[in-house]
Amino acid sequence: MTSIGVLQIAIFFGLILLCAKPLGSFMARVFEGERTFLHPVLRWLEVLTYKVSGIKEDVEQRWTTYTAALLSFSIFGFLLTYVLQRAQGFLPLNPQHFGAGQVPPDLAFNTATSFVTNTNWQAYSGESTLSYLVQMAALAVQNFASAAAGMAVAVALIRGFARQEKKTVGNFWVDVTRATVYVLLPIAILGGLLYVSQGAIQNFKPYTELTTVEGAKQVIAQGPVASQEAIKQLGTNGGGFFNANSAHPFENPTPVSNLLAMFLIFVIPGALTYTFGKMVGDTRQGWAIFAAFSVMFLIGVFVCYHFEQAGNPIVANLGVQSTAGGGQPGGNMEGKEVRFGIASSALFATVTTDASCGAINGWHDSYTALGGLVPLFNMETGEVIFGGVGAGLYGILLYCILAVFIAGLMVGRTPEYLGKKIEQKEVKMAMLAVIATAFSILVFTALSSVISFPVKGYWNPAGLATANLGNSGPHGLSEILYAYSSGTGNNGSAFGGLTANTPWYDLTIGLAMWIGRFLFLIPLLAAAGSLAAKKKIPSTAGTFPTHGPLFVGLLVGTVLIVGALTFFPALSLGPIVEHFLMHSGKLFSAILTPHLFWS
Amino acid sequence: MWDQILPGLRIKLFMTVLLGVAYPLAMTGISQLLFPHKANGSLITQNGKVIGSEIIGQNFAKPEYFHPRPSSAGSGYDATASNGSQLGPTSAKLIRGTTKKDEKGNEVVDFDGISLRIVHYCVENGILYESSTPLEKFKDASGNLDDVKLIRAFNDDKSPLVFTPKAPIPVDAVTGSASGLDPHISPANAQAQLARVATTRGVSADQLNQLVAQNTEQPDLGILGEARVNVLKLNLALDVQFPKK
Repeated sequence: MTSIGVLQIAIFFGLILLCAKPLGSFMARVFEGERTFLHPVLRWLEVLTYKVSGIKEDVEQRWTTYTAALLSFSIFGFLLTYVLQRAQGFLPLNPQHFGAGQVPPDLAFNTATSFVTNTNWQAYSGESTLSYLVQMAALAVQNFASAAAGMAVAVALIRGFARQEKKTVGNFWVDVTRATVYVLLPIAILGGLLYVSQGAIQNFKPYTELTTVEGAKQVIAQGPVASQEAIKQLGTNGGGFFNANSAHPFENPTPVSNLLAMFLIFVIPGALTYTFGKMVGDTRQGWAIFAAFSVMFLIGVFVCYHFEQAGNPIVANLGVQSTAGGGQPGGNMEGKEVRFGIASSALFATVTTDASCGAINGWHDSYTALGGLVPLFNMETGEVIFGGVGAGLYGILLYCILAVFIAGLMVGRTPEYLGKKIEQKEVKMAMLAVIATAFSILVFTALSSVISFPVKGYWNPAGLATANLGNSGPHGLSEILYAYSSGTGNNGSAFGGLTANTPWYDLTIGLAMWIGRFLFLIPLLAAAGSLAAKKKIPSTAGTFPTHGPLFVGLLVGTVLIVGALTFFPALSLGPIVEHFLMHSGKLFSAILTPHLFWS
Repeated sequence: MWDQILPGLRIKLFMTVLLGVAYPLAMTGISQLLFPHKANGSLITQNGKVIGSEIIGQNFAKPEYFHPRPSSAGSGYDATASNGSQLGPTSAKLIRGTTKKDEKGNEVVDFDGISLRIVHYCVENGILYESSTPLEKFKDASGNLDDVKLIRAFNDDKSPLVFTPKAPIPVDAVTGSASGLDPHISPANAQAQLARVATTRGVSADQLNQLVAQNTEQPDLGILGEARVNVLKLNLALDVQFPKK
């Protein structure tokens, strides 16, 4: 590790810490319907949205109605995205003349699911598949919408803790509108312009055809990139305009834009902890969660950075410089960009998988075994290290429920969190969410590791599904495990070696996304409903304080232990065994099966 | 509960107009006004013709130019097919390369691999090396290295070719970037290529050194990212200052 590398990590973390309070208290005011400095400028847009959509601003909803609204919002998003993709050939802003042929039904299903669930898994390659209109009007809209929905659910859960003896948890439509109008849109506009100032493109031109200095033909993809890039990061969506995502110079041109990207990913999740503290009337509770986030984030980033900088001993043995210095970055530079080097790449990989973003500025598939383990494990914890916009907060609150439950078991008292008794129903709901996601990751991974397909079948090329892998040996298992972890965690980043655009993978990863989103959200909304109905009990000398270091330690422990117990066996067969094989110099040849694509 | 259905459709349609159309259009308008060069891809024009983008790499193979990093975008620096190799650290393909049969049944290079890149980098830039089998044995009739033979030799499990450079190779020179369009190389990589470029252009290394230094970008704000050399800009500056005779 270099001192400049460590400094970059410190600067990034400092920025997030600095913004937590101002943005957090701003969001608390927004969601409680108070006036903010943006109301004179934007209140008309909020009112207009209600009018056009037929929403009554002052009606509150029970958790069941709130969930119904969320589902309606998501399903129409899914349908619109699906239809726009399939119809792109008949719609304007399509200078490359892409049609329905580029997006067959299974791919369109996968992509629509992916963007509606805030996953942004990309089984397609943007620059050769989708028109500008689909990128903007279908995908970027879902970037806003899925992020706003995540924030709404988080706020509903906060209200569950903050209120007592109430039947309602807020109004979904109002929460979504406020999140979009006052938080996401203004920051996206500023962020987008900063992106362009760094060199991200923003135009509607056809691709540029040119002759290079040495006389070769080069075609450069264009498009309205910056506007999408800003919300892609801010909404922790992660779906890139181009195949190479945030490694593409047009999406992420400089180290400054790289810092901006990471800042946009973490700023709302970080600030929501303060919003939480503010809304439940004790900001120390919010900071405790922020502290737990920070501990897990910093462990992850330094582990990843260490192993990436240490590099690949097999490559070093060939005579390649492995230590940084002398005007070169050293470490593992396969699949990384020179302008970012090792530190900014490792930091980005950790940030994007801590949050449920999934943008990448280097290919995680080419990371060293343990450097790549960090993103994988981050996703498998359920992305509760800062986490997705809203999703991180409701995810960690689930773990808070489990943590106080475990603490209650240890001392033999009924567990309480924020003055609410945690009883059978809440714990059941929390466990349901944990088990559903673990089931989705492990069962789908197991299936894809062994399943075989007949000749001329629809689902996949004939033979084993493992023939879709880009790497063999333990790294191949990591590729499958990563795909389902990414789908279930609604992350969307990929070990890109896996050929995931076949009906089998499109469908199963799509299912994993639905499970990971809604079998996580709905139990939590149910818990919010039952919590809101409860009385607050005054804290006594016997109450376990949930704002101190002891609780932070317990919370971190709960997250890590649940993650480790569930996934250790799979991880030890993938990245962990690969680490030892890498150090003994073992190589794996490509799987020798005919590479047939379905058609 | 059923009354929640219609607002879902109406708000989505409204959002599509506001966020899917108005927002990107407004952003495009403002960007084209404030940063027209950057918003259009930082294109470089020479004699009225676009010859590249400042921030998208393009391939250079001639000895009188500095060479970029290996690329997995399409068949190399294809700016409509950005991609990396997607190969993991224990991939034999990444380390030793692979060959395949083309339509005519001839064996051709499928993926060059780090070992082969090291051989070429040493030979092109005059870096000393040791080789378990003399490289002469891998040359074809016209004296060029036969890549297929070399890859086969690296993959020979019984007695693989062992090729060891005597000076460490800058890591970015033999590894592929993430986008396949990396416009930069590390300063060390530029230094290693400097003697070759100077010789072919008939100028002194010192003169070139200055030009490389001028085209080296330091980390942003002194601390973000890495020092780097923009290959296309450097090569264009070369053609202006030291045109090939």
